Amino acid sequence: MPFTAWSKVVKEPVTIKDPLNREAAPRYRGFHDNDVDECIGCGTCEAICENEAIDLVPVDGIETKDGDSGLRPKIDYGRCCWCALCVDICTTNSLRLTNEYKWIDTDPDNFRFVPGVDKKDWYDKKDGWRKPEPNYEFYGLKRVEMGELHPEERDDSFIEMIQGYSKEQAEAEADRCVECGICTATCPAHMGIPEYIKAIRNDDLEEGLRILYDTNPLPEICGRICTHKCETVCTMGHKGDPISIRWLKRYIADQNPSEKYKKILETDKLTKNGKKVAIIGSGPAGLSAAYYLSLLGYDIEIFEKLAEAGGMMRFGIPEYRLPYDQIDKDVNYILSLGVKIHYNTTIGKDITLEKLNEDFDAVFAGTGLHLGRSTRIEGTEHKHVYQSIELLRKITEGEEIHVPEKIVVIGGGNVAMDITRSLARLQKIKYGKVQVTATSLETEEKMPADREEVVEAREEGCVVNPGWSPQRIEIVDGKIKGLHVVQCLSLFDETGNFNPQCNMKNENFFEADMVVESIGQGMDLSYISEPTKEHLEMGPRGRIKVNDYFQTSVGWLFMGGDTIQGPDVIHGIANGHKAAVGIDNFLTKK
Amino acid sequence: MKELINKLSKDFNITDAVYQRPSLTFVTVPKGVAISLVTDLRDYEGYSHFVMMSCVDWIEEGKFQLLYLLHNPETKTDIGVKTFIDRENAEMASAHHLWKQVWTYQRELKEAFGIDFPGSPRVDEDFVVEGWVEMPHMRRDFDTKEYSENTYFPRPGRETNDPATYMRKKLYPNEPITAKKQDNDK
Amino acid sequence: MINKFLGFEPDKEKLPSLTAKIGDDIDLSSHKYQKIWLGPNHPGVTGNMSVELWVQGNTVVKAKTHVGYLHRGFEKLIERRLFVQGFPTSIRMCVAEPDTNEYLIATCTEQLSGYDKAVPEMAKWLRMLSLEMARLQGLLRGVPGQGGTFALGLGVQWGVYLRDLILDRFEELTGARVYHMYIIPGGVRGLLPDGFKERMEDNLRDIDDFIIRIRRLMFHNSVFKKRAKGLAIVTPEMVDKYGIVGTTARGCGVKRDVRKDDPYLHYEQLDFDPPTDTDGDVYARTWVRWQELIQTVDLIRQIMAKMPDKGDIKTPMPNVLHWKIPKGETYVRLESGRGEYGMYYVTDGSDKPRRVNLRGPSYTHAIALLEDLLVGADVADVHGIMVSLQTCPPEIER
Repeated sequence: MPFTAWSKVVKEPVTIKDPLNREAAPRYRGFHDNDVDECIGCGTCEAICENEAIDLVPVDGIETKDGDSGLRPKIDYGRCCWCALCVDICTTNSLRLTNEYKWIDTDPDNFRFVPGVDKKDWYDKKDGWRKPEPNYEFYGLKRVEMGELHPEERDDSFIEMIQGYSKEQAEAEADRCVECGICTATCPAHMGIPEYIKAIRNDDLEEGLRILYDTNPLPEICGRICTHKCETVCTMGHKGDPISIRWLKRYIADQNPSEKYKKILETDKLTKNGKKVAIIGSGPAGLSAAYYLSLLGYDIEIFEKLAEAGGMMRFGIPEYRLPYDQIDKDVNYILSLGVKIHYNTTIGKDITLEKLNEDFDAVFAGTGLHLGRSTRIEGTEHKHVYQSIELLRKITEGEEIHVPEKIVVIGGGNVAMDITRSLARLQKIKYGKVQVTATSLETEEKMPADREEVVEAREEGCVVNPGWSPQRIEIVDGKIKGLHVVQCLSLFDETGNFNPQCNMKNENFFEADMVVESIGQGMDLSYISEPTKEHLEMGPRGRIKVNDYFQTSVGWLFMGGDTIQGPDVIHGIANGHKAAVGIDNFLTKK
Repeated sequence: MKELINKLSKDFNITDAVYQRPSLTFVTVPKGVAISLVTDLRDYEGYSHFVMMSCVDWIEEGKFQLLYLLHNPETKTDIGVKTFIDRENAEMASAHHLWKQVWTYQRELKEAFGIDFPGSPRVDEDFVVEGWVEMPHMRRDFDTKEYSENTYFPRPGRETNDPATYMRKKLYPNEPITAKKQDNDK
Repeated sequence: MINKFLGFEPDKEKLPSLTAKIGDDIDLSSHKYQKIWLGPNHPGVTGNMSVELWVQGNTVVKAKTHVGYLHRGFEKLIERRLFVQGFPTSIRMCVAEPDTNEYLIATCTEQLSGYDKAVPEMAKWLRMLSLEMARLQGLLRGVPGQGGTFALGLGVQWGVYLRDLILDRFEELTGARVYHMYIIPGGVRGLLPDGFKERMEDNLRDIDDFIIRIRRLMFHNSVFKKRAKGLAIVTPEMVDKYGIVGTTARGCGVKRDVRKDDPYLHYEQLDFDPPTDTDGDVYARTWVRWQELIQTVDLIRQIMAKMPDKGDIKTPMPNVLHWKIPKGETYVRLESGRGEYGMYYVTDGSDKPRRVNLRGPSYTHAIALLEDLLVGADVADVHGIMVSLQTCPPEIER
C-alpha cells in the first residue's frame, strides 16, 4: 500500500450524521400531493402516465358537477417511476411531487392512495417538483387567433365578420385539446366534442360531420352563434385559453359541401315507419326534432308562421353573425330528408291544434319566445319606442325601419347587443356615423351579454353604458328627446328576487330620437286552444310542465326549446332531440 | 456524399438514397447486393467501422428491413445500407466474416426477429431470452402487454373511470349522446 | 498469480497446449479442464452478466459471455409508448450514465420531427452540463473501480463519496439522484438552481484533490502496475475489426471521440483534446480514463463559465398527447464515458416510434472482444479485463 492510502486517516469523516433526516433537494421528485380544490379530475395525468400508475376514482365530498368530474387521481406506487410527467402535464397545476422520499409501511395497500385526500405527513412540505418555469408547456396555452374583419371593414355592412379557421389553424387549435371530455357534460346537447376535435386532428372531416350530426343537426348555425358553454368549463381554460370548440365545429361543417351530406351521413334511403308527426315552428327545437324523427322513419310536417325557416336563428340573429346562406345549408339538408314545411301557416288561425292531433300521431311545439317585453316606464307607448325583437325581424325581412340619428337601447343581453350593432350599421350607412347608446341595469361585470359582443360593439362606435335604471322617456311636442336614468345599485334582494335598488340622486340623461327596449321576451301560447289548454298542466314561473322527454300532460303534445329551457339555440337542439326520442317511445308503446 | 452514392450506383443497384444529415445517408439495395456493397464500402471506401446492425419489422408490408450502419473514421460520415427481406422464412446472407462483432448482432436478430443467417457462428444459441418459447419477441405482432397480462398476476383492487363517461352516468344518464362515445363505453 | 511474484514458472509441458485447444473441442471429461462460471452477480462495478470460463489450471482457454439477466425489453416498451413517454424507460438502458439515453431519445425525436434547430441555447448548455456530469460520476466510480478489481478497494471508497456529491448536484438540478429524467424532447426540465455553480465548484475542487491522490494510490502502485501492465492488450489493428470505441480505442492510440469527430450540442465551443495512450493494455486504458477525469472536470468548468445565465428551457411543441412524427429514420450518437453510444430510431408517421435500437459499446466490447481477450488470461484477471472494457450489461440486452 502506498502511504497515500493513509492520508485520510486523521480527516473528519464525511458520513452524513443523521441519514434518516436528510432533507432532499427543493426540486426532488418524492411522493405526490394534489390540491383537490383546484383539481377538476380531467384525467390528463392518467393519460400521460407511462406506467399506468394512475387511476381516477370518486372521492367523498367532491361532487360531480359542470367542469369537475368529481374524480381524483389515485397513485399506485407499485408502478410509479417518479418521472413527474403527470405534474408537467397537469392542466390545473394542482398536482405536484413533494420532496419527501422516506415512507415505511407494512400494509402494501397503503401505497395506493389519493394524494390530497388520504391523509399523509408530507402535504405541508412546500418543496418538491412543480411544473418547470418558464415557457415549459406540453401543449399550446394560447388559442389560435380567429381572423375577423376590422371594425372599419365591418361597421357599415352586414357581411360575416368571423372568417373561420384554415386547415392549419383548425388542426393547430384541435391539437391543444387533451381529450378529457369534461365539456361534454356541460354541453346541453352532450355533443361528442373530444371525438370531433380528434377527427379534425386526423383530418377526417367526414367522420367529424357524422359525430356532429349524432347530437346536433345544425352545426353551421351552432358553429357560429352557439353560447359555447362547453368553453367555459374547458380544462385548458384553467391555465390558458379554452379550446375554440365553437369555431372548430364550424370548421368541420364549413369544409363539408352540402351535396355530400347525404352520402357522408348515410341518409340516402330512410325506411319509413308510416307514422306522422307535426311540428310547430321551424326554430332549432323544431328542426332538431324533425331531423331525429326523420331518421327514425317518421313522416314530418313543419308548420311555420313566417315565410322562411329558422325561427329566431334567422329573424333574431343579425346577418353579420349568422349569414342566411349558412342557415339555408343546415335547414335544406333537413328538408331534403323528406320533411315537409308549410310556410305562412299560423296554428290557431290557419289550422287548429286539435286538427293537427287528428291528422298526426303526435305534435311537437317549439314555438319560442317572440313577444318583446316592455319596461312599462313613462313614454313607452310612443310610436318611436320599439321592441328589439320586432326590429330584428324587420331587418331580416328587408323591411325599411325608422333609423334616426340618435338611438338608445335598453338592455344588456346578447339581443340588446345584436340590435345595437345592427342599428349602428344602419346609421353608418345612412349618416356615415354612429350614435347608439346601449344601457342596462346590470353593471359592466354582470352584463349577461358575451364579453366579445360588448367589446365588438364598442369597436364599431356604439356606446355601452351599463349600470343605469331607466326612469322615463322625455317626450316634447310628440317627439322623443331622450331617456332619463338613475344609477342602479343592485338587482336582487337578499332572498334572490328581482328587486332593483337605485341611487335616485345619481341621475343621467341619454339623448335620443328613438328608444329600443330589449329586456327579454315572452312566449305566445295563444295557439293552444281551450279544449287542449284545460288539460295542460303548468309548472313554475309560468312555464308549461313537461316530463324528462318534453311530453306535456296532454300526452300527444310535446314541447321544447326556448319556451321550456334556455333561451338559446343549443338547448333547443337538445330538447328537440330528446323529444324525438320521447315521441318515438310514446308512439311505439301506444 | 452524393458523389459517392452516384459512384456506387454504377456498380450496385441502389434503389433509394435518403440524405438524412450531411454526414448520414441511408441507401436501399436488393437483398443479394447488400453484403457486397458493405464489403466494398469497408475495403475501398474507408467505411471500416461497423457501427451496428439492426432490423425493423414492417409487418404491414410483410418485410423486415435490415440495416448495416457503417462509419468512415476519415471523412466522419456514416452510410446505412438497408435491404428488405421477406418476413416469412426470413433469411439473409451472413456478414460475420467482415467484422468480429457481426455474429453477435446476427445471433440477436435470429432470436429477436427469427431471421436466419446460415453459417454465422453460434447463431442458434440463446442470447438474452434463454428458454423463450413464444414468437420472436421483437416482432411487431408480439404484444408485450398481452403477454404480461397472461403471464403475471396484477394485485387486485385497481379500477379507474373515464371522466366523460363517469360524468354522464352521474349527471345525464338518459340523454342521447354521440354514437362514437357509446362505442367507447362498451 | 502468486507464481508470477515468486518467479516460479510451473512446468506446463505435461498440460495440453493452450493454443491447440481454443475452439469447441474442449473435452471436459478428459479432466484436464475445468468449467467455472463468473457471475451473474455484479463482478466488480459492471452489472449482472456472467462469463462461462473453461480453464486449465489458472489459465482461461475459452470464454463465453452470457447476458439476459437484466433484460426487460426496453426497446420494445418504448415502441409502445408516446414519444414523450420514452425517456423514463430509456434511462434504464444504461444505469451508469442514464443521461446519455435521455439525450439520444430526445435528439432522435427532434431530428425526425424537425425541431432540432429549435432547441433553445440554454437547454443545449444544460444538456451538455448534465452529460459531462454523468461522465464525471461514471469516471469517479470507474477509475478507482479498476483498482478495485485488483483488490485495491480504498480508491473506490474515495471515489464513490465524491460521486455522491455529484449526485447531490444532480438532485438539485434534475430532481433525482440516479434516474434524472432531465432531458426531454424539445429541451430540458429546469434551469440551474441558485448557487449551483458555487457548490459545483466546491465539489470540483475536492475532485481535483482526489485526482492527485488516486494517481499516487493506483498509478504509482507497484501491485497495480504489475497486474495491469501488459494485460489484455488491444492493438490498433483490432479497433476496426472489433468495432472498438471510446477510451478503449484511445488506450492504443486510435483517437476516436464523437465530441471531436461529429460535434454535437456546443462541444465545438469547448477547448479540449481527447487523451490517448499507446500501450493498449489495462493500465493504458485506465490511464486514459484518469486523464479524462481531469479533462471532464475542466469541461464542466468551461461549460459553467460559458453557459448563459437564463433563457428558455424548452421549445414550444405540439401537444405531447397527440404528437406524431412523419415516417423517417435516423442514427444519433454521442460520446459516453464508455465510447460511441448511439441510437437508431425509426418512425412510421404514428404517435409512437416504430423501432428504437441502442448501440452501446459493451455490445462489442463485452462479447466479441472480451471472449477473445480472455483466452490465455489468468482467472484472477478476468474481472480486471471486464472492467477495463467498461462492460455495462444493460446496454447489451436493453
